[in-house]
Amino acid sequence: MKTLLVAEYRNGKLLNSSYELIAFAEKLGAESAMFLVGTESSLPAYNGTLYLADAGKYGEFNPAVHKQLLLDVIAKEQPDMVVFAHSSYGWDLAPRISLALNAAHVSEVIDIVDGVPVTPACNSKLRRDVKSKTAQMVLTLQGGAFGLEVEPSGTPSVVQVDTDAAAQVEFCGYEEAEAGGVDLSKAEVIVSAGRGIGKPENLSIIEALAKALKGEYGASRPVVDSEWADHSRQVGTTGQTVSPKLYVACGISGAIQHLAGMKKSEFVVAINTDKDAPIGEVADVLIVADLKEFVPALTAKIQAL
Amino acid sequence: MKILVCIKQVPDMESKFKLNGEGTWYDNSDLAWRMNEYDEYAVEQAVQLKEQVADSDVTVLSIGPDRVKEMMKKALAMGCDRGVHIVDDDFFKKDPYEIASIIAEFGKGKEFDLIFTGMQSQDRGSGQVGVLVAEMLGLPSITTIVDFAFDAGQITAKRELEGGIKAIIKTTVPALVTCQLGLNTPRYPTLPNIMKAKKKELLSIPVSELLKVEGKQETAKMYFPEKKGGGLILEGEVGDLTDQLIKMLKDKTAVLA
Amino acid sequence: MEFTREIYWNVGNSAGVLIPMYLLTLIAFVALGYGFWQRVKVYRQGQALNRTDLLAQRIMGAVRDILLQSKLLRVAGPGVAHALFFWGFLLLFIGTCLIVVQADFTDPLFDIKFLTGTFYKLFSITLDIAGLVAIIMLGGLFIRRYIIRPEGLDNKKDDLIMHGLLFAILITGFVIEGARMAVTELGTPLAAWSPVGLVFAKVMAAVEPEALRSLHKATWWLHLLLVIGFIISIPFTKFRHLFTTSANYLFADRGPTGNMVTLDLEDEAAESFGAAKLADLSWKDIFDADACTLCKRCQDRCPAHATDKPLSPMKVMNQIGEVAFDTPDANLVETVSKDALWSCTTCRACQDICPASIEHVNKILDMRRNLVLMEGEFPGEEVMTAVDQVEVNGNPLGLGYATRADWAAELGVKPLAEDPDVDVLYFVGCYASFDKRNQAIAKAFIKLCTAAGVKVGILGKEEKCCGEPVRKMGNEYLYQSVAAENIEMIKQYRVKQIVTTCPHCFNTLAKDYRDLDFDIPVEHYTVFLEKLHDQGRLKLGHGEALTCTYHDSCYLGRYNDIYAAPRALLTAAGIKISEMAKSQVESFCCGAGGGRIMAEEKLGSRISEARVKMAAETKASTLVSNCPFCLTMFEDGAKGAELDGQLAPKDIAEILVERLEA
Repeated sequence: MKTLLVAEYRNGKLLNSSYELIAFAEKLGAESAMFLVGTESSLPAYNGTLYLADAGKYGEFNPAVHKQLLLDVIAKEQPDMVVFAHSSYGWDLAPRISLALNAAHVSEVIDIVDGVPVTPACNSKLRRDVKSKTAQMVLTLQGGAFGLEVEPSGTPSVVQVDTDAAAQVEFCGYEEAEAGGVDLSKAEVIVSAGRGIGKPENLSIIEALAKALKGEYGASRPVVDSEWADHSRQVGTTGQTVSPKLYVACGISGAIQHLAGMKKSEFVVAINTDKDAPIGEVADVLIVADLKEFVPALTAKIQAL
Repeated sequence: MKILVCIKQVPDMESKFKLNGEGTWYDNSDLAWRMNEYDEYAVEQAVQLKEQVADSDVTVLSIGPDRVKEMMKKALAMGCDRGVHIVDDDFFKKDPYEIASIIAEFGKGKEFDLIFTGMQSQDRGSGQVGVLVAEMLGLPSITTIVDFAFDAGQITAKRELEGGIKAIIKTTVPALVTCQLGLNTPRYPTLPNIMKAKKKELLSIPVSELLKVEGKQETAKMYFPEKKGGGLILEGEVGDLTDQLIKMLKDKTAVLA
Repeated sequence: MEFTREIYWNVGNSAGVLIPMYLLTLIAFVALGYGFWQRVKVYRQGQALNRTDLLAQRIMGAVRDILLQSKLLRVAGPGVAHALFFWGFLLLFIGTCLIVVQADFTDPLFDIKFLTGTFYKLFSITLDIAGLVAIIMLGGLFIRRYIIRPEGLDNKKDDLIMHGLLFAILITGFVIEGARMAVTELGTPLAAWSPVGLVFAKVMAAVEPEALRSLHKATWWLHLLLVIGFIISIPFTKFRHLFTTSANYLFADRGPTGNMVTLDLEDEAAESFGAAKLADLSWKDIFDADACTLCKRCQDRCPAHATDKPLSPMKVMNQIGEVAFDTPDANLVETVSKDALWSCTTCRACQDICPASIEHVNKILDMRRNLVLMEGEFPGEEVMTAVDQVEVNGNPLGLGYATRADWAAELGVKPLAEDPDVDVLYFVGCYASFDKRNQAIAKAFIKLCTAAGVKVGILGKEEKCCGEPVRKMGNEYLYQSVAAENIEMIKQYRVKQIVTTCPHCFNTLAKDYRDLDFDIPVEHYTVFLEKLHDQGRLKLGHGEALTCTYHDSCYLGRYNDIYAAPRALLTAAGIKISEMAKSQVESFCCGAGGGRIMAEEKLGSRISEARVKMAAETKASTLVSNCPFCLTMFEDGAKGAELDGQLAPKDIAEILVERLEA
């Protein structure tokens, strides 16, 4: 089984999601080669062949060109699986590749069992086993679904690739997220607010618990979209990915995008009135209670300790 | 300007799902249906573009059984001019490739200047159809947009990336964009528009006329995830629960040491 | 002596007096007519509305309310003052009419003078006292307005003119009488029958008769001119309320309380729905502004106004008037402001207390209809989402419709689809079905019914939101849509009787749905249970002693006059009720009506906290309510006001179920 792993590079840095691809290949026990549009100074710690296209020349975001570069490598390597991260880069590029290869394309893979990819469905309430009808397969992996057991190491043997394919869109730079935000990725304790808080005023209940636990407060996407909390507090694929020692999810149902951002937390407590909420998937303990009652009571007891 | 917006009808995610007889999809009973949330933003953006550019026309397309017509009426009430219903009771069995090819087959030769789709569906969430349609029609595509501006044939869009960063992308029409949540505020249809929508053209096309390819993958099984082992569920009086939790935190984490 | 007086004494009834007098009177009435005619033209900018049906009842009702001043007397201080002033002036007016009848008809035509003897004595003393009472009350009203200056009572030029004119008319009246008595009656037994005039006469006693006669004559003409001036000023000042407010009693809405127009949404000719411009309103809506005397009783009771929201029902009514008279092309919604419109909880306290029978609520709701139906606007995204959820899942909470009956599983209550053979259909409502705190009400109600031997059925997942919150927010279309679905479902099961634990569902099914071809009897559960208790089928014991305070919800109270049944039940259960100052018809809203249960309260302070504080003042331990919205608001309000340790909000069903006798 041969895999071709498509790593990602942004803003001058290799993205860590690239290592999750390696972990996937290792789990499969498959051979791998890697493809990256990046720079010599940002190579992954990887013991294999790395096909490198210069990001300076081809741009960090340039789907049509990246597609051609990658197709050329695929033609050479003939992998059984082309593996991307299910990221804003991966889900954009992968379908272009799968169409060109006429290969089955399974998105947001969370597991692979006997060679059959498993994906979530309906806000993570269900699971779907997908069988490919084609010999070659394209996969995008859910962020955080596959993690390296050991620290990555090694030096890749680099093969430069080039193309004269034309761009279809123009990349005009990045717009940074609002400044002055908190860096949740450094927090040891995070207490997050979900839609279950009901109204913006109840965020103070969450903040109080976070403070009592000497941690930070976070929020799920709907809470940030409603402007009850600042974007820097958002935990999830489009917010911050966190791995604190304790994560307390209050009134958060557990949409995939949120889970992806916090499931690497060491100990997860969920407080929800719905005992079947998908957050239960990743929670070490799910407390079936109304957070508006439970959280202040908990805060008070902790403060009294 | 000729605009196409592709929408999908999905179950409301608050529904309690059950599996169908074959165990390959969710059962249709006891489900409330609604327009895929991502597609609402697509419809709104398509209508806003139509309001911006004189002499524009918006076609809304959906694939599915008869019940999708209700949802299409909502899109028409939001401002789309005409609807195309591709009749298919087995749409859920088709993979993104087949779905995209049906749409691309419809779009072939129609010279749409802009195609809007949601970035993914809430039920399957493959996020592939939009890009596949663009690739099949040879159009540039920009996915996951949270901002859209159009001026004299040029699109300036912002893609939402991880960590809240946005990437500014430009391209020219004809093109396709896939819409992320928060792109705009989908309008609530006014009553006169709801009434007008009832009279707008809603064409029905049997899927057999447009499906010319075979799928490349299939759902082997759909099932409920197993509860993660060690995941405790605690219920009871708030007073007891807080005590239990504090004990757990002391035992299992260093947080309350 | 003869107990009478010479009409036209000293002034004479020559042509030189009569002609100018009648001419001026004629001019006055022509001006009066003209002034009102100009106003009628403005009212006519509004649409037609039939308010002259049941004419006999209307006239009787209006006459009774005007003469008894019953609406004014609902507020003691100024109410009593106005009533007494009104009766005084009315008597004086009748007295003047009697003089006209004698002087212009019975005397010249038939030589009959009836203002003599005992009749005259009574006539005289009555009018004197009437005049005195009128002056004193006028003085009191003046002091209230200009010295005490109650908050919210604005003083306009009109008010000063009115006080001045009336005072001048009354005083000159007594001056005339005093001068006449000083010349003709002092020292006679007749004088005692005009005690106030006598005081004036005694003051003037020292003056020369010649001078008195001049004074008398001059004051008589002055008095005439003042009265002419008064009549002319009626249509042009707040005096118009003599006619407009009285007419408003005649034109009052005689439909069921809280009646809204069920719009014909299929009407292809309708260009617009709701009210955005003057022509969208009815003539009555514009007329209401003219009937308003700015007494501010509505504003004083408005819960939104009390919590610093930009809504004053009085102001909205007058803004409509200003648009109608001054800027008829203005946009009503922009004039009144959206914040004001969305702040209303439809509690009806304004309309209930209004002494001019003004209809505040429906005007606000009509403007909301315009915003929602024509502009697709809501007070916030959260409301749009909730409304959308009513469409998708049949409830504003956004929970899956298929789980609507999950609360009932453990109680063995079956949906009609499984077992249609029931005594009564329990229309549960969205909050009791889905909201954890309110499910306790539903469960308690079932237990009470079971104890009383009543078999209850529910629609289960076939039940949809009654549509009331979305209707009150302005979405008439969605309301009619879910209502039609509920009605079809209920009729399909041949339901004979419906009970509900929510006053909003109750009001909607019992009244609003009547316009949609639905006539099945509906009761609120407190009335239903009280009947069962009276029949001996529901046995309540006394249980733990409890002092509670009871909150009359707007939709059970003001909308449906149900005050006694819940109290009877609580008393039967051995509960001691410590009433709040604002209770029964004066109850203060919890803040969730008018669809506002779906909205965030962003302006001013919290209505729910204001009410919870009122409850806490009674020192009761429990705040009992009869509505799931109230219960929800009080749970939040108690926490917000930090009273949740002292005051426990409970629904009456929860109290009763604890006290069921085995």
